[in-house]
Amino acid sequence: MKRYDLIVVGAGPAGLSAAVEAAKYGLKVVVFDENANPGGQLFKQVHKFFGSKEHKAKIRGFRIGSQLLEEANQFGVEVILNATVAGLFQDKEVTVRINDSIQHYKGDAILIATGAAENMVPFKGWTLPGVIGAGAAQTMMNLHGIVPGQKILMLGSGNVGLVVSYQLLQAGCEVVALVDAASKIGGYGVHAAKLARTGVPFYLSHTIIKAEGTDCVTGVTIGEVNKAWQVIPGTEKHFDVDSICMAVGLSPMAQLLKMAGCVMEDNPKKGGQVPVCNAYGETSIRGVFAAGDVSGVEEASSAMIEGRIAGIAAAEYLGYIDKVTLSDKVGELESALNSLRQGMFALENRGKCIEKTEEGYDVSLHLLQKGYFQEQEVANYPGVTVQRGVHAVIECSQNIPCNPCQDACPKHCIKIGERITSLPVVDENAGCSGCGMCVAACSGQAIFLVNEDYENGYASVTLPYEFLPLPEKGERGWALDRSGSKVCTAEVVKVQTSPAFDCTNLLTIKVPVAMAMKARFFREGSCHAECE
Amino acid sequence: MRNVNDRSRDIGAFVPAEDDELLICRCEEITKGEIRRAVHDGMFTLTEIRRYLRTGMGLCQGQTCSKLVKEIAARELGIVLAELEHAASRVPMRPIEMKVFGNEKEPGKNA
Repeated sequence: MKRYDLIVVGAGPAGLSAAVEAAKYGLKVVVFDENANPGGQLFKQVHKFFGSKEHKAKIRGFRIGSQLLEEANQFGVEVILNATVAGLFQDKEVTVRINDSIQHYKGDAILIATGAAENMVPFKGWTLPGVIGAGAAQTMMNLHGIVPGQKILMLGSGNVGLVVSYQLLQAGCEVVALVDAASKIGGYGVHAAKLARTGVPFYLSHTIIKAEGTDCVTGVTIGEVNKAWQVIPGTEKHFDVDSICMAVGLSPMAQLLKMAGCVMEDNPKKGGQVPVCNAYGETSIRGVFAAGDVSGVEEASSAMIEGRIAGIAAAEYLGYIDKVTLSDKVGELESALNSLRQGMFALENRGKCIEKTEEGYDVSLHLLQKGYFQEQEVANYPGVTVQRGVHAVIECSQNIPCNPCQDACPKHCIKIGERITSLPVVDENAGCSGCGMCVAACSGQAIFLVNEDYENGYASVTLPYEFLPLPEKGERGWALDRSGSKVCTAEVVKVQTSPAFDCTNLLTIKVPVAMAMKARFFREGSCHAECE
Repeated sequence: MRNVNDRSRDIGAFVPAEDDELLICRCEEITKGEIRRAVHDGMFTLTEIRRYLRTGMGLCQGQTCSKLVKEIAARELGIVLAELEHAASRVPMRPIEMKVFGNEKEPGKNA
């Protein structure tokens, strides 16, 4: 039996954060993970995170993963990979499968950060090869460099479904439809909008009737559902696809805590069966902690803070720090955690129909049902102004905890204020220089630079562009509107890339002035080919 | 809360449904119809269903189906999800061959 001060199970964002924090106070820490690589889900998150500076906002997930590993290394955290924890016992002993043997370890404190597993929805044909979890698709693409298919239908409009759909497009797949049985999009409107403007159609109040094919998926039939979730006859729609991705929620993997005898609760808002924890993530068994998705499904940013809190609490439990230090350190982290849990997508608002923002602006039903604004709605929001010359147009309409745009603008044109869920306000008097920092900083890709005085009769629109190959200056193609429909021809007049933009390229296209508030995406392709 | 375990409770007769052939537990190849029928055979808890049908006892250890089995059983029993307790969690958490499970080594000796 080998002893440690703290044994952490799971080397994801929560587990690593806890391990780093505990090791900072001198605890001898070991982290077990059943995977061959550390980082949990972080290394497949290629998108920029939300939040504010303290939450590592606008940094891509995999870069946060690298930072965490560096920290773990720096503070002497021992990470043992390919190590499957098979059992957790009340006296804080764990049995671990390493290679072809079982080994016993004992911790004075234990932290379980095993995360969550993907849910599935059964329908006719759901066991055919080609029906996969959205998380699995993301692992294939972003960790192993393999596309799961060419033509894909996504079930689930939460952030996972939206983000993975976008990454599928980036990997060169076609997303034929995004389907959800709910009547409104569950994830962030900005994530939906960046899909919609590439032309991905949304089918809300729809469900999968069957997957077709004998040896593998060759097609799928969906249908509209009524309020009782029954398919309405005659609404069936068929798509040729080779893959169906399911992004229908996650369930905490809390079995280790349950077998150790922790008091559990069944909480649908937290994703299912979770341990009952105090504010420090401590379960009903003293010295046994839980952090991250295993104690309630959220996202990586909050998992990292929960991990840090639990790591500090473990240090206090073992006498490495006193109670005063604990409450000081945890106080700051708790306020960071609380700010992430504010706004329309907060736990207490799940399942609620929110019609107005905190500021009193109408929430666009069109955005929630189709994935994009109607043009006349856009002007309602405080980030959208009409100005002479170049200026930022911020199509941000939901109270989500995110504020990098405010810090990005060197001219202080963009104001969010103390509350990080507030909608960004564009100050018309601050004098936009057109630098584009805000466009690249927006994790939701919701900021555009519009100049209606670009040239006689022509406007320029600068948009965030994260696809390869990158169009070149002088290239002609189509301007697409928010729904992904072609509205006019467009010419690329500028392409900007910069380390400061972190792989978000800025594409400036020239369009007729009347299209300045319509054109939101660019697609290469000659007009001739389209006319034939 | 009603007593879910009250075996004298009348849950009605088993009514065949169109989707009874739907595979729910992929590892052990158990269908929705078999799970529904098990409830009518008197298996009122998830642990009983698991012992009766082996749902969730295959390679994935219920990672995919345990939530689905719970939903099907709760509906058949006419109770809400929260009233149905999860099946017991036991060692080993992941499937492990007996030869490995029985092969205990001192930590760090075979690294």
